Amino acid sequence: MDCIDSREKIDELYKKLTQQEEENDKYLESIMARQVNLEAKLNNITKALPNLQILHNDAVKLADMISHTSTLAESVSAKVRQLDISRSRVSECQQRVQDLQDLKLCKEGVKTALENEEYEKAAGHIHRFLAMDQAALKKTASHMSQGRSVEDCFTQLDSATKELRLIVAKNFEQAAAKDNAADVERFFKIFPLLGDKAEGLKRFSTYLAGKLTVMAQKTLKTCLDTPIHDKRAPVVYADALTLLFEGIARVLEAHQPIVETFYGPGNLLDVIERLQQECDKESRKILTELIQRRNLDHIVRQVDDASRGGAPMHTVASSASLVSMAASASGGQTHRRAGSTGGSVESDRKVPDPRDLDPLLNELSIAHSRAELYMRFLRRRITTDFESGDEEQREAGLKQMELVLQRSDLCRLMQELLGHYLLLERYYMSESVRKAMTLDTLDGEDSQTSSVLDDVFYILRMSIRRSSQSGSMDGTCAVINDACTLLEIDFCSYLHRQLKKGYSSGYLDLTAQAYNMWQSSLQQGRLNTSTQSDSDSARVMFLAHLNNADASLEFIKVMIRGLEEDIVTSIGAKNLTANDQAKLSSCLSGFGSVTASLRHVAEYGLQQLIASAVKPRTGPWVDAFMQANHQLTEEEFASYEADEPFVQNLIHNLEGLLSSFKAKLTFANYDALVGHVASEITTQMEKVIMKSCFNRLGGLALDKEVRALAGYLTAATTLSIRDKLARLTQIATVLNLEKPSEMSDYWGSSAGHLWRLTASEVRQIMLLRVDFKAEEIKKLKL
Amino acid sequence: MDDYKFLFKVVLVGNAGVGKTCLVRRFTQGLFPPGQGATIGVDFMIKTVELENEKVKLQIWDTAGQERFRSITQSYYRSAHALILVYDISSQPTFDCLQDWLREIEEYASNKVLRVLVGNKTDREDREIPTSVGEDFANRHNMYFVETSAKEAENVERLFMVIASELMEQARSKELPRYETPALSSRSTSVGDGGCCGGRFS
Ligand SMILES: Nc1nc2c(ncn2[C@@H]2O[C@H](COP(=O)(O)OP(=O)(O)OP(=O)(O)O)[C@@H](O)[C@H]2O)c(=O)[nH]1
Ligand SMILES: [Mg+2]
Repeated sequence: MDCIDSREKIDELYKKLTQQEEENDKYLESIMARQVNLEAKLNNITKALPNLQILHNDAVKLADMISHTSTLAESVSAKVRQLDISRSRVSECQQRVQDLQDLKLCKEGVKTALENEEYEKAAGHIHRFLAMDQAALKKTASHMSQGRSVEDCFTQLDSATKELRLIVAKNFEQAAAKDNAADVERFFKIFPLLGDKAEGLKRFSTYLAGKLTVMAQKTLKTCLDTPIHDKRAPVVYADALTLLFEGIARVLEAHQPIVETFYGPGNLLDVIERLQQECDKESRKILTELIQRRNLDHIVRQVDDASRGGAPMHTVASSASLVSMAASASGGQTHRRAGSTGGSVESDRKVPDPRDLDPLLNELSIAHSRAELYMRFLRRRITTDFESGDEEQREAGLKQMELVLQRSDLCRLMQELLGHYLLLERYYMSESVRKAMTLDTLDGEDSQTSSVLDDVFYILRMSIRRSSQSGSMDGTCAVINDACTLLEIDFCSYLHRQLKKGYSSGYLDLTAQAYNMWQSSLQQGRLNTSTQSDSDSARVMFLAHLNNADASLEFIKVMIRGLEEDIVTSIGAKNLTANDQAKLSSCLSGFGSVTASLRHVAEYGLQQLIASAVKPRTGPWVDAFMQANHQLTEEEFASYEADEPFVQNLIHNLEGLLSSFKAKLTFANYDALVGHVASEITTQMEKVIMKSCFNRLGGLALDKEVRALAGYLTAATTLSIRDKLARLTQIATVLNLEKPSEMSDYWGSSAGHLWRLTASEVRQIMLLRVDFKAEEIKKLKL
Repeated sequence: MDDYKFLFKVVLVGNAGVGKTCLVRRFTQGLFPPGQGATIGVDFMIKTVELENEKVKLQIWDTAGQERFRSITQSYYRSAHALILVYDISSQPTFDCLQDWLREIEEYASNKVLRVLVGNKTDREDREIPTSVGEDFANRHNMYFVETSAKEAENVERLFMVIASELMEQARSKELPRYETPALSSRSTSVGDGGCCGGRFS
């Protein structure tokens, strides 16, 4: 605690106290000043109090008034409502009076109209009658004590309705029987007036169905009478279907407007459902004819057996007797086939020639496409017909349409037909491809590929196109899948088999001398071609197959592009759903794995080529390196440098080897060959270098030679082969050092040297330099 | 969106009405479609699943079981990575036909394809094929086995996920560089010897 021990402190405290007192005074004064103000306010409030009371009273009064008004308003509106009801009763009453009056008129009118056979007029009256609220009318009549006469009218009109219905039905049938279109239309229009739309539609559809039957029989007969040599003979059944469908389309187009005008939209499906029964019956007839006359079942069985049994179709086909081949050549074929339904063992064993299937496949595809078009036509028509209806009705209608169409016989029959078609198409492709393989020849003198390439892709593309002409995406996709399988399995293994034979075994026996002898005899024009020709052509074929594998890649690319267009055009872009598109591109992507397999085959072929044509020949060329001296004097170096005999010879030989292939290989194959040759040469070079000893100048000479070799190889191909040459170049660099210590600079420097050599390899190489001391090399820090 | 590490084709086959479409719809859309009509030709659906942080795209081909679509179905065997052969546990005839289906598979599919036998409709009371009989069949024919109910969503997810992971494993082991044969008969993604049956499902 502070104690007051000095005057200064006392003064200070006093000053503080005085200051405080002053502040307190000021505060008090300000409070006092506000008192006046507050008093005035209080005064005001006291004065206002009575006013508040008045306000409250007024508010209560207002509330009363408002609630009163609302009651009033409610009662007024109730009255208005009552008034409304009354008014509508009055008009109802008027309507009923009108109805009662009309009722009498109708009764009279119907009677006279019927007597005068004015059916439209009579129907008009009946229509008016049917539109009346009969129960209400009866009630009204009983109030007006007119019950009896009204009751009478009803009975009479009811019986008139029945009578008219019978008359109309009878007349309709008569008109239909006579195919009197005007009368058919006349009576068809009357049914809805009599409240009998369903009946009208049914009779009308049956009438149209009858027309179809007549028409179909006529067309079928014409088709069957087509002379065998007629241009259309191979597709008569497809033609018959076409005519049938076109006929139905015509009938529909001619009669749809009548239905729509007098029955309103939304009724077409019922008509079509009935017509479809007829269409089913008629198309079944045509297809039955097709199956019988084209012997389809039998062919399908044969093909099925052949592919199932995996039987050596080859031998079966070639062992078929000459007699039967002659028979087929002389056109006795259809007859023989028709007769072979009994299925004798011999004819069952025979497999059809794919070429014979061509017309049948075309016909099946066309037949399917016609049905597809027809179904599309129906869908379009029915959908349009439902368009004006409300959402719900339309949806139900469209659903019903799908059921009707999908459950139709036609649809099912076409699915079966497509199944047969696909089976045969698959057989056709695989047999034709097999044939193309057995007939494989070189296309011409300067052709790099053989006939199998063009043939196979021609066949596949043709078949896929034919399938897309069927109008079925599923069918098209199936044929694409089958084509992929054929390429990946049959075609690839064919090429593989051919390449496995090797690039003429003759070469394997060729020692360097034999080769040189052969070459010199070539130069002297003394080549004995007759003995060489066999292995020559084998070699040419080998290269052709190697090229086939590579060229197929491009063929596939081109084919896919073409097919996409073909398919979209033949099925029609607007008919393709997103799902169809996805299916198609997924199936087309199946060619991707074919591509991978073909690459494997090409690679395998190259390995074969290297093994037989490159390795045995480059060996001696490179081995010559070991005969050369690599410890050179200045003099020797100068003369060596002048013509670099080893490397120039090697390059010359390589040039000869490669140029003999350049024109015979595709670009990609040639590039790949150069790549392989580069790898081979560098490996071999490495081996001989490791067996040699170098001095400083020998190293320098080697470095120059390696550069020359690398320069030559790099220029020989469009591919980058630096990588393949890296080790050899680095070996040369190491052997070209001035002194061992330089090595550690190289090794450590970030000169961008990505060393392909390990430290111990570097040491080993350095030891080849006779002038480098082992001690020093060992001491190097690598 | 369309980035995926693996793409596998899965093909479903089996008699009409055994529930192939329902299985696919359950897996791809998570629903059991009421009044499912017979499949016409072949249906195609895609579902991308995630497995071990990798996106795996499954391309599912749902084929029609009715006889007349056989040629279409056959064309899809070859490129399949996995084949799901379905029967109905409440229908002996669908089980009896498995032999025929196997013959087709032998004939058309790659022998390296992953094969799975599925007994569907386990929710039904009127079972005709005991589980052990199905299992036995699968064992004898080197197939995986699982019983499902598309209706109750039982084992459906698992069916496809196990297939996806199995195929992924195969694809990975195939990624190792291989030199020897110019693989003619197989695609790059399927290996598998279909060895132990059912192991991963049980
Ligand atoms: N109880 C039960 N019924 C099922 C199950 N799965 C399918 N179904 C029923 O079996 C019927 C046929 O099913 P789908 O999926 O159409 O058969 P599907 O194998 O696709 O037949 P197709 O397309 O003709 O080859 C339908 O009525 C389904 O409701 C299931 O797990 N349980
Ligand atoms: Mg289905």
